[in-house]
Amino acid sequence: MPEVAEAVAGQTPPKPPATRHQGAGATIKKRWRAWLRAIHRDIGYLAVGFTVLYALSGIAMNHIDDWDPNFHASETTHKITPIPDELSDADATQRIAAAAGVTGKLEDTFRAGDEVRLTYTNGSKVTAIGDTVTVQLRRDRLFFRVADWLHATRGKQAWKFIADAYAALLLYLAISGIFMIRGRLGLRWRGATLIVVGLAAPIGYIVVSGGPGAQNTEKVAARPGEVDPPRPPKPSTDGITPLPPDDDAPPRRN
Amino acid sequence: MRDSRRPDLDRFPELAKAWDRRQFVKSAAVGTAFMALGGALVRIAGDDLSKQARAEKRSDGRTRLPPGQRALDELRPMGGEEGDGDVRRWKLRVHGLCKSPFELDYAELLKLPQVQKEADVHCVTGWSLVGGLWKGVPIATLAEKAEVKSEARFVIFEAAHGYTANAPLKEATADTAMVTYRLNGKPLALQHGAPVRGLVPDLYFWKSAKWLTGIKFVKADEPGYWETRGYNNHADPWKEERYA
Repeated sequence: MPEVAEAVAGQTPPKPPATRHQGAGATIKKRWRAWLRAIHRDIGYLAVGFTVLYALSGIAMNHIDDWDPNFHASETTHKITPIPDELSDADATQRIAAAAGVTGKLEDTFRAGDEVRLTYTNGSKVTAIGDTVTVQLRRDRLFFRVADWLHATRGKQAWKFIADAYAALLLYLAISGIFMIRGRLGLRWRGATLIVVGLAAPIGYIVVSGGPGAQNTEKVAARPGEVDPPRPPKPSTDGITPLPPDDDAPPRRN
Repeated sequence: MRDSRRPDLDRFPELAKAWDRRQFVKSAAVGTAFMALGGALVRIAGDDLSKQARAEKRSDGRTRLPPGQRALDELRPMGGEEGDGDVRRWKLRVHGLCKSPFELDYAELLKLPQVQKEADVHCVTGWSLVGGLWKGVPIATLAEKAEVKSEARFVIFEAAHGYTANAPLKEATADTAMVTYRLNGKPLALQHGAPVRGLVPDLYFWKSAKWLTGIKFVKADEPGYWETRGYNNHADPWKEERYA
């Protein structure tokens, strides 16, 4: 390398070696990894809020059969003398409210069958059935109520697109992450090993569990022999509102 | 004794950071695995209710607890888009392939013949409520009142915000299937479908639509919300028909 040796001796930078690529194309080719990292970094910043929201609400909803991630719900019961049918609504309400001990403004009273229901403006619901008064109350969990609501995209048209965009960003983060670093810490050893470990978890689970195909499924079809014929009709004498037949009505969609 | 794999950090201090990180990652992995295993063991060891339910048989010969389920003594709130839960505004529409479709409100529902039955319910996520005492009106009674036509094969449960769930007519009109408004002598809580939900206990619990607004009888099957999202169309817990 005589040119380099001369340049070092004279303290002038060496000329770059000649390449087949010139101009912007050459720059991009040489610098693509730097661009990849820079975009990865910025998308990473963008994704912080989304990731925290989806990760925490995802954990919360994964364990929904252990706790209620959305609400603090309480239910207490109190014993009373059963409310006789002849007792007026006002007196029944007074007796039930006293037993329930709910502080707050009564919004409404509903009485039907053996039930008397009181609704309070603070959300408390009080129901008297026989000798038991049940007080039901629930309050939102501050963060999870909103996060879980956002996590479930059903019925949220605009948010669905935002969530799709976030998913696309995550895909970029995952794929660009593979190529960010060269050498032993990259795909040659550490990166490849960890990718395999990461893939092994879902693949291993599918293999061990047998996957969805392992379920003992039985497709439901019309099975005329299993259907009991409807019993003969009885005349309607209870004041229930009859509806016109809707044989030809199109099915409702979800 | 020095770890033979440990680099000589006195000679190569620049490796100290990488070595520390490796030790941290190892410790974190071991700690997480230990906690997960411990939690699982605590859950399994303390689950007498499930052991008892597994040992019992139903009258039809099947085990009381379907495979892959653990028993609980109360319902878990599983989410969903809630209805408003107000009995004053609640109405149930019974329609479809029937000669006398009708609509009734909550007070009218309470005037129909009521039943109270003990039934276990099984959530597809793996828990079962055993020994719940449910009160309501049998779906067979509603079918009879609506004069369901002989060609009807399926029942579609319609609920708040367009949710639907389908079930074969035979299972939806079985003895224990009903529209229910009371569990263990108490009104249903809003998160459990108040004021009225469906109950088809021998199918996975998502078929028992919460915040029920309608029951439709149809000839051709109409897979519902979860059935069109990868869950099984039939959903028999004893066959573990969880997914499509």
